[in-house]
Amino acid sequence: MSTPVRATRSVQSARRPAPNRSPIGRIPDLLFTLSLIAIAVVFFFPMLWMVFSSFKSNSAIFSTPFALPTEVDFSRWVEAWEIGHIGQYALNSAIVTGASVFGILLFGAAAAFAFSRYRFRGRNLLMGLLALGLLLPLQSYFIAQSTMFTQLAITDTRWALIIPYTAMGLPLAVYLLKVYLDALPDELFEAARIDGASDLRVFGSIALPLLRPGLATVAIFSALSSWNEFLLALLYIQDDALKTIPTGLLAFSSRYVTDYGLLFSALSIVTLPMIVIYIVFNKQIVEGITAGSVK
Amino acid sequence: MKPNRRVTPYLFLMPAMAVFGFAVLFPVIMTFAYSFTEWNGYGAMTFVGIDNYVRAAGDTIFRDSFTHVLIYIAATILLEVVVGLILAGLVSVKRRGSLWFRVAIFTPVMLPMVVVAVLWAFVYNNDFGLLNAALQNFGLEDLQRVWLGDTSTALLAVSVVSGWVYAGFYMTIFYAAFNQVPAEVIEAARLDGAGEWQLFRRVKVPMIRNAITVALLLCITGGFQGFDLFYVMTNGGPYGATEIPTTYLVKSVFTFGNVGYGSAMAVVLTAVVVGLGLIFTRVNREKPEGARR
Repeated sequence: MSTPVRATRSVQSARRPAPNRSPIGRIPDLLFTLSLIAIAVVFFFPMLWMVFSSFKSNSAIFSTPFALPTEVDFSRWVEAWEIGHIGQYALNSAIVTGASVFGILLFGAAAAFAFSRYRFRGRNLLMGLLALGLLLPLQSYFIAQSTMFTQLAITDTRWALIIPYTAMGLPLAVYLLKVYLDALPDELFEAARIDGASDLRVFGSIALPLLRPGLATVAIFSALSSWNEFLLALLYIQDDALKTIPTGLLAFSSRYVTDYGLLFSALSIVTLPMIVIYIVFNKQIVEGITAGSVK
Repeated sequence: MKPNRRVTPYLFLMPAMAVFGFAVLFPVIMTFAYSFTEWNGYGAMTFVGIDNYVRAAGDTIFRDSFTHVLIYIAATILLEVVVGLILAGLVSVKRRGSLWFRVAIFTPVMLPMVVVAVLWAFVYNNDFGLLNAALQNFGLEDLQRVWLGDTSTALLAVSVVSGWVYAGFYMTIFYAAFNQVPAEVIEAARLDGAGEWQLFRRVKVPMIRNAITVALLLCITGGFQGFDLFYVMTNGGPYGATEIPTTYLVKSVFTFGNVGYGSAMAVVLTAVVVGLGLIFTRVNREKPEGARR
């Protein structure tokens, strides 16, 4: 709740005093600042309303939608967390996301290393196939993927999400990591080679450590897209114990359709950590997401 | 660098290619193959040639779904790319102190679309929703609607939510691009007497043309792939007013068991998305650079 207030203050205090201007000349400046604040408030308001409503009773939500809650009572949050299995969903999301990101980073770095450092037969063909993955929409493969997963009895296991999330993340990861690796001088690798390092050694002790900033970027956008993915999670996971946050929350919201306070609490629980994460890591996240947007 | 053994490069590639081949490439080929069959997913499969494509061409729901998605894309270009550009322009006038502004606008991008969709279904709710309540407060009761239940407003209502999420995303891309515009260019324009608006229109926007092209590509191809918001907020309703290709083909395949027909529609959609992607890459050779910086 303190967020917009602080936002207001920091926007104002950061305003450089315009030199050589009369008080009247500053009015446009002030108007400008005020309009920025107004835009920010309008954008942020639905989220504020969500948090306020989570502290209200159903009747208060109906009768005084704009009022501040009369008391800040987290009991509904606790209730939502417990009966809504939100902890379970968050854990599932964490496992699926963690495994996918790990796979994307490891396999992606290895493939980028091969493409960047070696010349071999079939290189262009394989790179072309992966590049195709940058263009192909999910719709081009999810139908056959689902029948395949059903036949292999992968559906309703965590693998049903980990495998496709990893596969979907790889093309962009390989592309970006290859750009990073291409920028490294050849001598670095040749020198290690002369010292007798094996290929695996060169990859593990030279390429990987130097790739760290690239890996961090890839990790951020891969993690966000796995964490938020919905369509495949909806199709492949029916077992409530394995649902991730998006599908779990949807199941929860259809179970407690009219208990608005509880639903607002659940939404707030899912939303607030993301806001905190964004505020703490905003530089890296913005960099990661804009890099991820190449796709 | 020369590998110690000739297989080494292939060993490095194997895990990535195996996962990608298994979960993406093979299913793409199979989806294409299914599109020439009539199949319910488990029983007997019959080859029907291009019948499914003929059927899709004559299917008014499928055709309407493309009309809807085109309207949605047009709306999101305005609400996301154009609004994002204007916001970035506003923020870049005064570069300092804008962090909190950017936090407020960008946060929705971080949230799962389902969370956004459930939240906005409440904003649009006709009993206690924020929107109708706000209209009432301003004495505009005449404008109150059942926003998601009215065929004339539902599609637009969903587009607005998409705009709420992605305006901040495009603002961030454009803001980064504006920061790359050399300070001397801006100074020179200022010395020539350009005001902020002229600076924006005549100098900054033309100089980030690449980033704008990439943003349009993302917005258009992303729009064709839309699903989450539609599924949660309306699932195609009311009366099919928000049926888009993906909600329709998910229904065809997973509710009605028409794997063959659904696959044909998926192939059509894929052709559109990949085709547009290729055209844009042609037009904008340095595409990746524009977005990354």
